Amino acid sequence: MLEYENLKDELLSAIDTGLKFARTVDGEAEFELYLFFQNSAKADIKQGVVEATDGIVKGNAVRVAKQNCISFASSSGISPARIRRSINEAVAGLRSVSIKDERFKGFCEPKRPGKEGTFASEILSLSKEELIRYAKDLVKDGQEFDSRILMVQGSCSATWGGFAIGNTQGLQQASRSASNDCDVSCIAVDKEERRVGHEFDITRERLIKTEGMGERAARKAISLLGARKLNEATVLPTIWEPIAAAAYIAASVGQSTGGHAVVEGRSPLAGKIGEEVANPNLTIIDDGQNPSSVTTEAIDAEGHPQQKNTLIEKGKLNQFLFDTYYARIYGTESTGNCARGGGPFGSTLPYEASPGISPKSIEVSPGTKKKDDIINSIGGKAILIVDFPIGIFHSSVSTGEFSAVAQSAFLIQNGEKKTPLQPVSVSGNFYKGFERLLELGSDLEKTPLLVETPSLLFDGFSIVG
Amino acid sequence: MLERLQECVELGEKLGAGFVEARFEDLTLRTLQRINDNWKDIILRSRAGIGVACYYGGASGYSFTPSDSKKELEETVSRAYRMAKASATAVSLKLDFDRRSAVKSSATDTFPAKVHPKSKDLGYKTDLVNRVIDRAREFGENISNVTGAYGELFGQKLFTNSEGSIVDWSFEIVDLRCSVISKTESGDLVMGAERAGGTMGLELFNAKGSTPEDIGKEAGTHAKEQLKARTCPAGKFQTLIENSLVGVLAHESFGHLSEGDFVVVGGSPLTGRIGEKLGTEHATIVDCGTPNIPKFGGLWVPYDDQGTKASETTILDKGLLKHYLHSRGTAQYLHQEPTGNCRAVHFGFIPIPRMTNTYFSAGDLTKEEALELLDTGIYAIQTSGGQVEADGSFLFKAIRGYWVQNGEIREPLREVSLSGNILNLLSEVKGATKDLRLYAGYFGGCGKGGQFPLPCGTGGPELVIGGVTFGGKAG
Repeated sequence: MLEYENLKDELLSAIDTGLKFARTVDGEAEFELYLFFQNSAKADIKQGVVEATDGIVKGNAVRVAKQNCISFASSSGISPARIRRSINEAVAGLRSVSIKDERFKGFCEPKRPGKEGTFASEILSLSKEELIRYAKDLVKDGQEFDSRILMVQGSCSATWGGFAIGNTQGLQQASRSASNDCDVSCIAVDKEERRVGHEFDITRERLIKTEGMGERAARKAISLLGARKLNEATVLPTIWEPIAAAAYIAASVGQSTGGHAVVEGRSPLAGKIGEEVANPNLTIIDDGQNPSSVTTEAIDAEGHPQQKNTLIEKGKLNQFLFDTYYARIYGTESTGNCARGGGPFGSTLPYEASPGISPKSIEVSPGTKKKDDIINSIGGKAILIVDFPIGIFHSSVSTGEFSAVAQSAFLIQNGEKKTPLQPVSVSGNFYKGFERLLELGSDLEKTPLLVETPSLLFDGFSIVG
Repeated sequence: MLERLQECVELGEKLGAGFVEARFEDLTLRTLQRINDNWKDIILRSRAGIGVACYYGGASGYSFTPSDSKKELEETVSRAYRMAKASATAVSLKLDFDRRSAVKSSATDTFPAKVHPKSKDLGYKTDLVNRVIDRAREFGENISNVTGAYGELFGQKLFTNSEGSIVDWSFEIVDLRCSVISKTESGDLVMGAERAGGTMGLELFNAKGSTPEDIGKEAGTHAKEQLKARTCPAGKFQTLIENSLVGVLAHESFGHLSEGDFVVVGGSPLTGRIGEKLGTEHATIVDCGTPNIPKFGGLWVPYDDQGTKASETTILDKGLLKHYLHSRGTAQYLHQEPTGNCRAVHFGFIPIPRMTNTYFSAGDLTKEEALELLDTGIYAIQTSGGQVEADGSFLFKAIRGYWVQNGEIREPLREVSLSGNILNLLSEVKGATKDLRLYAGYFGGCGKGGQFPLPCGTGGPELVIGGVTFGGKAG
């Protein structure tokens, strides 16, 4: 039985055995073996309907390379038989398709690992009953806040696990983590009008704090009732509260700074290192070693140490994010950003995803003005976006053009927050937006999108409502 | 394996569960992706595992394992039962369901692909991708990136439960697609894309309109046309929506609202509205797990993951709300019949109400008549996805479009986004064309409840809709 304490040793032992077998299959090929193990329990209560899951995700993935041909195979499970199956499948794939990737220059070389993030042992001992009780409290809080709250959904989960990587370059590393998260959403209804409010908590350094969360989500939903139509197609300043700003950052910089997008000609930021691409007050880092971030690991998904990278520094584009493959094509070093099914909407079976590039934990440096002071400083009309705008992740990375619908928005008029608005369409170009970024708030917040950001004030986006 | 599943059911019942379901899947997934001149991905996946659902006191508990060892299966059943028992202490809305006769599948339930993907080697499939890229380059211009991708998914799905049902069939899907990104003179990047796929054999890629050459040509030609396209104006316009985008509208905006789990808790704006007129006579929306694939295309899902046989469910009939999409529990709670819509993305998840193939029904207009009816407005084509909120608000991306003036297609428009509320939109459907098409594929899928990507079919005719909001350039 794998436990948190022995997880790394057990996985590394299986890696060692697997690599030895791989060499017997083809002694001239290069191999990389990845093992994943995650124990996950989740309770979900939608009004009074309860669904709960408790299971173990485990799987393996093999990459094999020979004379610039490369193949990937994965299978469920981490037993020696399943690992051997993937090795054989990958080798068979390599032999059946003799397609060269001239850009492939070998797997990740061994380096000293970084640090695992903070670990709260109480997450491991969280019982199923406690998870269900947390979810029940979230729902109860939301339901009791106001009679106009029609539906409340509360979810809580606790996960712990780890992964290990080994390759024929001599790399053998492993990393572990645990996290605890919850979210609640409330639907407020008044006649034909329906509004939604969300709250969340995600942590690795303590247990979740559910107290008051249901009420806060309910309050948000209620505050959006009584919305009126904007009845305009115009250009206005927009203030994006942290959750909305996080979506903006993740959908733009979070994707276009990826070395794959740069190398493959799909990033509008390609060729702009050192150039001014944003307001000089904007600094964005990606920190794979932030001890409290749930994505912090000692190594990335190919065994390179995770690290801190500065993407934009005082408005100037500073660097891109790389794994080993794209770093070598671009002529640089990996930044420790290899991921398998990573990102805020990561795969539920990460071992099935081939290695790619993803930010680990983006942080936007805060400004000095409070959000209310920013609002007060606006003359005329503006739009305040207070929740995740729908459709923003359907924007094109290559063009930077986006169009999203702000479901939860308020009208700002002459420096005052006025009425809630019926959904408004907000569109423009992400990168032109960064150039017209007017203010950064001081209200830094963590979000479930793996972006920590303050409120942002942009000018120049088209608004239709 | 069936015996192992039956042992799981017996053990769950012995522990005290009121009802137990056990399912096994053994799927092969292959992805071949070439970017420009480089093969980025040759990915071969084997996904096998067992999932067990225990029902106790109106609540459910679920567990899963990739292992088929007796010890791990016993632990899996035990986890599922303990989770259900713990959940029963918090349940206030019970989704019990009555026992029914056992369901037995037959060999003919699996879709008969003529050239099954497992019958051809990888070289055959990489050649399909190479042909796509060659043709895209021939027809494109100022190309910054061309990507060709092939995907296939096939394998066994086996199910049993406390009623003694035995459902054993094979899932199968293939997909070939191309995207071309070109750079305009001012440095902007524009895109063209095309695809073909669904539950069909590799014979699909010999058919007119879906050969690798046809797919590459379409993607290259559209990217080239986009070089001269202008930004879509912002505002409210009359709209002609092309088939694949209509499909996303049917799935994202309306289909999700009709899913039983959302309805029973009152979260859907469709709750309690059966029999109400929600749209015009041109708005009929259907979900069907076994469509006429040779004629229309789509996805073959003869049974859901609760062992319920697929059905053709008319959700909205000429504007009237008729039915919801169900699991067994939601169907009983709402006094309707199960519809075969309880699906899970893989063995790691409990099945929940999901769609199969969801589409608007065909109308009687020709393309010319549809443009005439549109008069002046936007013709929105293809999609890169969409999203909907609990109140029916939606946003969809059309990859490209045209400005239409007095019934004539004029200049091309760049990527356009459409937004609004589905319940308002349904009352603005003015007409539908005769040509019903269904789309399904290996790449992408539905992501409800974090269960991404579940293959789903979507489609419809082309629809003329009055007053759709377009995000774009205002002022």
